[in-house]
Amino acid sequence: MEKRLNGILTLLLAFVVQFTFAQDKTVTGTVTDDAGLPLPGVNIVVKGTNSGTQTDFDGNYSISAQAQNTLVFSFIGFAKQEIVVGTQSLINVSLGADAAALDEVIVVGYGSTRRELSTSAISTVTAEDIEDFVPSTSVDNILQGQAAGVQVTAANGRPGNTAFVQIRGVGSINASTTPLYIVDGTPIDASDVANINPGDIASFSILKDAATVSKYGSRGANGVVLITTKQGKPGDAKITFRSSLGYGEKIDDPFDLMNAEQKLELERQYAALGVNAAQSLPGATASPEELQRLIALDTNWEEELLRKSYIQSNALSISGAEDKLSYFLSLGYDKNDGIIDRIDGFERISGRLNTTYQAKDWLTVGMNVSMARSTTDLPRDRNNVQNPFRGVYDYNPYEPLFLRDADNNIVVDAEGNNVFNPTSTGFPIARALTTEPENNRNFLIIGSGFADIKLTDKFSNRFSVGATSNRFNRTNRSVAGGLLQSFVGDANFPGTQTDTFSLDFEYNVNNIFSYSDTFNELHNFRADFLLEYNENIFTNLTSTSRGFPSPDIPYQAVAAEATAASSTEARRILFSQGLFLDYNYDEKYILSGSIRRDGSSRFGPNNKYGYFYSGSAAWNIARENFLEDSFVNDLKLRASYGTSGNQNIGNFEFLNLLGFGTYNGFTTAIPLGVGNPDIKWEAQAILDVGVEFALFNNRVSGVVDYFKKTSDDLLLDRPISQTVGDENNAITANIGKIENTGVEVSLKGDVVRNSNFIWTIGGNASFLDNEVLELVDGADIPNGTTRLVEGQDVYSYYLVRYAGVNPANGEPLYLDVDGNVTNEYSTADAVLIEGKSPFADVEGGFYTSFRYKGFGLRSDFIFKSGNYILNFQRSSGISALNIDSNQRVEAFDYWMQPGDTDVLPSPLFGDTADQTSTRFLEKGDYIRLRTLTLDYRVPSEMINSFGINSLRIFATGQNLLTFTDYEGDPEIGIGSAENAQPGDQGFVPGEFSLFSYPQTKSYTVGVELSF
Amino acid sequence: MEIQILFFNSIATFQNGVDGIYSQFQNYYASTGSGLQGVPDILSDNVVLVSTGRRSNEVLYDYRYNPNSGGAITLYFSEAYEAINAANLVIGQIDNLADSPEKDNILGQALMGRAFAHFDLVRVYGKIPTQSGDANSSLGVPYIKVEDGDTGDPLAQPARETVASNYMEIIGDLERATGLLATNNGEGRFDRDAAFALLSRVYLYNGEYQKVIDAANQVSEPIATPAQLPGVYTDSNNAGVIIEFSVNTSSESNESNVGVLYSQSNSSSTISEYAIEFDFFNSIDTTDVRRNVIQFVGTNQGNQYNAVKKFLGEEGQVNGLLDIKVLRAAEVTLNKAEAQYRLGMDEAALTTLNMLRDLRFSSYDGDESGTALLDAILFNRRVELSFEGHRFFDLKRLGMPVVRSNNGDIIDGSGTPPEVLTLPASDFRFQFPIPTAETQANPNFEQNPGY
Repeated sequence: MEKRLNGILTLLLAFVVQFTFAQDKTVTGTVTDDAGLPLPGVNIVVKGTNSGTQTDFDGNYSISAQAQNTLVFSFIGFAKQEIVVGTQSLINVSLGADAAALDEVIVVGYGSTRRELSTSAISTVTAEDIEDFVPSTSVDNILQGQAAGVQVTAANGRPGNTAFVQIRGVGSINASTTPLYIVDGTPIDASDVANINPGDIASFSILKDAATVSKYGSRGANGVVLITTKQGKPGDAKITFRSSLGYGEKIDDPFDLMNAEQKLELERQYAALGVNAAQSLPGATASPEELQRLIALDTNWEEELLRKSYIQSNALSISGAEDKLSYFLSLGYDKNDGIIDRIDGFERISGRLNTTYQAKDWLTVGMNVSMARSTTDLPRDRNNVQNPFRGVYDYNPYEPLFLRDADNNIVVDAEGNNVFNPTSTGFPIARALTTEPENNRNFLIIGSGFADIKLTDKFSNRFSVGATSNRFNRTNRSVAGGLLQSFVGDANFPGTQTDTFSLDFEYNVNNIFSYSDTFNELHNFRADFLLEYNENIFTNLTSTSRGFPSPDIPYQAVAAEATAASSTEARRILFSQGLFLDYNYDEKYILSGSIRRDGSSRFGPNNKYGYFYSGSAAWNIARENFLEDSFVNDLKLRASYGTSGNQNIGNFEFLNLLGFGTYNGFTTAIPLGVGNPDIKWEAQAILDVGVEFALFNNRVSGVVDYFKKTSDDLLLDRPISQTVGDENNAITANIGKIENTGVEVSLKGDVVRNSNFIWTIGGNASFLDNEVLELVDGADIPNGTTRLVEGQDVYSYYLVRYAGVNPANGEPLYLDVDGNVTNEYSTADAVLIEGKSPFADVEGGFYTSFRYKGFGLRSDFIFKSGNYILNFQRSSGISALNIDSNQRVEAFDYWMQPGDTDVLPSPLFGDTADQTSTRFLEKGDYIRLRTLTLDYRVPSEMINSFGINSLRIFATGQNLLTFTDYEGDPEIGIGSAENAQPGDQGFVPGEFSLFSYPQTKSYTVGVELSF
Repeated sequence: MEIQILFFNSIATFQNGVDGIYSQFQNYYASTGSGLQGVPDILSDNVVLVSTGRRSNEVLYDYRYNPNSGGAITLYFSEAYEAINAANLVIGQIDNLADSPEKDNILGQALMGRAFAHFDLVRVYGKIPTQSGDANSSLGVPYIKVEDGDTGDPLAQPARETVASNYMEIIGDLERATGLLATNNGEGRFDRDAAFALLSRVYLYNGEYQKVIDAANQVSEPIATPAQLPGVYTDSNNAGVIIEFSVNTSSESNESNVGVLYSQSNSSSTISEYAIEFDFFNSIDTTDVRRNVIQFVGTNQGNQYNAVKKFLGEEGQVNGLLDIKVLRAAEVTLNKAEAQYRLGMDEAALTTLNMLRDLRFSSYDGDESGTALLDAILFNRRVELSFEGHRFFDLKRLGMPVVRSNNGDIIDGSGTPPEVLTLPASDFRFQFPIPTAETQANPNFEQNPGY
């Protein structure tokens, strides 16, 4: 009763006070740390209400409050402070470091923990780290250079393409090396990562060592990337809008192509020398008048075929939390139409709603749902005339875009349209881009729901269900009257179209039952028991028709006849049990262990189940008495060892299969492959020893890890005699072993930190070494220009060695297999080039950031060193046999007279010179300024009166600078999708360059405001 | 959930298995890049590389192939053995069926398929018995028979047998098939005529001339008439075609466009890869109906070429997609004439040859004997079977060199001449190299001499 009366009294008082002291007043002030430096981003909330604000860059804030209100100041890493407003209108606050300053919560396997209590090597990248500085349409590209131990290679420059991500080197040969991606607990396909709106992401946790990846058992061997999306934060709804606009263009080549005059001159020189291939070219045959006409036609094919891309990004989010409910709602739109003229690029629309609700004291439920639709036009990534990027380099500069008659007038067709020039390649790519279109659409839904039940103080249970569904549509057309139709089409049935529809549906149900207890206030113990069921159902439908009445109606319904149809369904199931144990003594000495059992439908009855385990320990030295109050804020030693598996191979490889096709319209049945009933997962064991530290009031911090990762029982194609008649001439078998060792270093420090100016530098580097330990019967595995050889680097190059030009006659020389100089080229002289492989020895990234008052300037660099690239692109640009195509200006530097050294071989020896050899093997080292961002935060006092909380204006350049000796663009993933695509057997990213979609540089400006 | 089905349990499903064998043949006969329908012509003196083409198969044309070469070198080896595997699958399970003529007909097709694929392997990768004195004892290929327990072990590493033993087994399978096959199985499938026709070729390669004549006499299919002949190559009719690998150009419009080996055309231009050799084309009598079957004037970049017309496409098409003509009645007649000549039966040989010549042109001598008669038989063989995958094997089995003229690629004989003009009769490159993939996976598989 007394209490109640008090309440009423307070209420009455409040009325009176409000009545007496007018309305709200404005409180302003500055928040600093204990060193007197301003703290930006401090949350200030009027206690008991939803109203709040943040300090600006200078630590200043302004908030409406009433005298009886209490303001709560909070900031990560600092102790919370509460101050009653009273009569003050200026409240300056100094926040002290929180004793538990290191209580950063990190997301780990099946749950989260405080970083301090983790025994695992985990790299985390949070939205705060990157979102202001790294504009990117794709999530995987964001990781490049940001986290130690993560090797990201952009596939190519095509907008929307998924990058190759490897964690701690190449852990497999035939099975996929892509890490497992998990979004809010739901596993997704790596290819779907490109369809997640980067703006929705709160953090990435990259699990690298056994202490955490073993918890993922048969899916953990390539590492795990946990993506956590944003949740609403306490306070009023915060509305944030961000928009940017810009353009991209092809990065300039570090070499020049010939212009018309130069190319004609080279043809003349070659013909005069007696090069057969040049005899019929215009440089050799044209009259002086004709030459003048051709020179006047000088065409820059890059300008004709490419363009500046248009880049646009808009994102809107509304988030907040009150009482029992938190919400985060977002919409995103991204467009990058690509640098190829005449086709569209990438476009994505996405939406998300994340909510949690405290339904009962003992029950919290939540649901995250996102949807994204993307569309892409695809150029043909081929090493031939169908590829516009090949055209840029191949088309002769004296051949213009449109055909000309003798009077230099553009030739027009019956409809009055300009006729595209087929050029000497016979293939007008500019026309083919419009008559041979390919378009992909993806619609991705990721949803997950959970229920946390607190049974008692010690027992709890979390049940969650997640599902992803990606609908993929592809339309390939060869339109009636189009370019390819005239060659390979059926005259009676003009035009073909193939539509592919596939649905990749995966759901995941898991339950974790947990027990945690503390004994004697020192022994902290926790156990989690996991049950998990994962099923993937993939269905595919394809149909093809021909005979289209009009190129403008892209639907098979109007076609004269359907010519082919097919459908597939494949299911894969994984069922797992796991037990995870954690113990610590006073948070100083920490021990963890895990065991997991997986059953997979990918393996035969002999090997359906596998066990995976780990053990790890850590010592928080900083918590020892002897380090108390020293300059050491954090010092932790940790070690872990454990196993995991890789089951990323095809389904049904353990069975003998029959394949069906047609012959002359009748169904055929042929033996498809020889199964191996004994295959099992690839097994991996990782040893990791690491140290984490933070010094001088956390101004300098870092992590150093050593690891040794042994991948055993690798699933290799054991080549078998072709007389067996197997479709692949191989069976899949668990033979092979490779080892990756490495050291990873991340460092970060504030070089200068005073009230107006902050300068921070940071970076990471991974030093990696790998070796093939065992192969099938010790036999080399040839893989195009690379090879797997026991005792050597994985995928070392295997090439004929080039020995320069004979100064006496300009002939190219090679070394034979025994190392003797020879003027003959023979593939039989190829040898393993020791120590040279497409994999880098060192890679990583570093950044430097300056902040002066509201201005910020940050540059992010990425680097790579020690890898080699086979530069086929240069080979075709200085190839005597290729004289009918355009050449690099460098081609003039050929041998002309006895004694010439340091020159290209004489064009008379094109047959032997233009061969694959170490002549075109180049170091791939580079440093690239990935992003340079300049931004300005408008001071809060200027905008608060408009109801705006923060306003930021920024400008960003991407790939503005590159430092390299490589004769082309060194950032190569796919060389040419015709030769090798991700997922193909033996595909090695960055092995060679061959006219894939080039990297681009871009310039964007944008604005971000929230209210 | 695992489902295992005994698939081969009826005539219909066994026919699916047999059609699977044909589809494997099609994989290597009709391949756009390397079809056996055209490669033996590219390897011969029938064609000249067109310098404005894509220079595809130049490695073959210039005889620069080695064990690491891809394309035809690897394709025939692996696809022929896949055809053999498909055949053995059928043969091994044939007793799932009750005895009946239909069962025999299935078995006959599979046996013939197995023999044919081995025949292709040994003529490509080994010597031909009549090629040289040492041919019969030289390296053949492993003859894989399910009945002999040669199948079932994926890690088997069989060694090469001799050419003589291969021919014995090929002939054994074929002779057995003649007693099993039905007289007509429809387009694209082997029947009794097909088995005898193929036997006439195999006996000729094996130098068993009386058997050539006997087998040829069992073939009932007549030679295509002059009126029918052009339509044979546009699939308007099947006159005189005994073995073909067929394509349903409607439902299989994505199948291999075999004609692309020679050229890619559209209505306004023809990008030829290989043109008809100038001397060869002009040696054909102007009244010969085959001139127009073989040749059309192709135009590209302002030049005219003797473009290859065979396999340009079905009626009205230039997409290179149509049935593969593997063995025609005309060849059976030529096999017979040549065998008669070898047995000294000049008069009979002349009569046989004239049966064909009468249907092709009028102004021939018609009175030859001795060497002149042989030359006439071989010349008509060259013309009749040109661009159908014979010339290289015919030169090879006769122990003759490839001799190319120095004429260029353009229609008047000017332009770029071949880089390699001769392949001597005894040259090791008459036998393709064994692909490296095989010699590595199977160390018992000996490489051919010279590579």
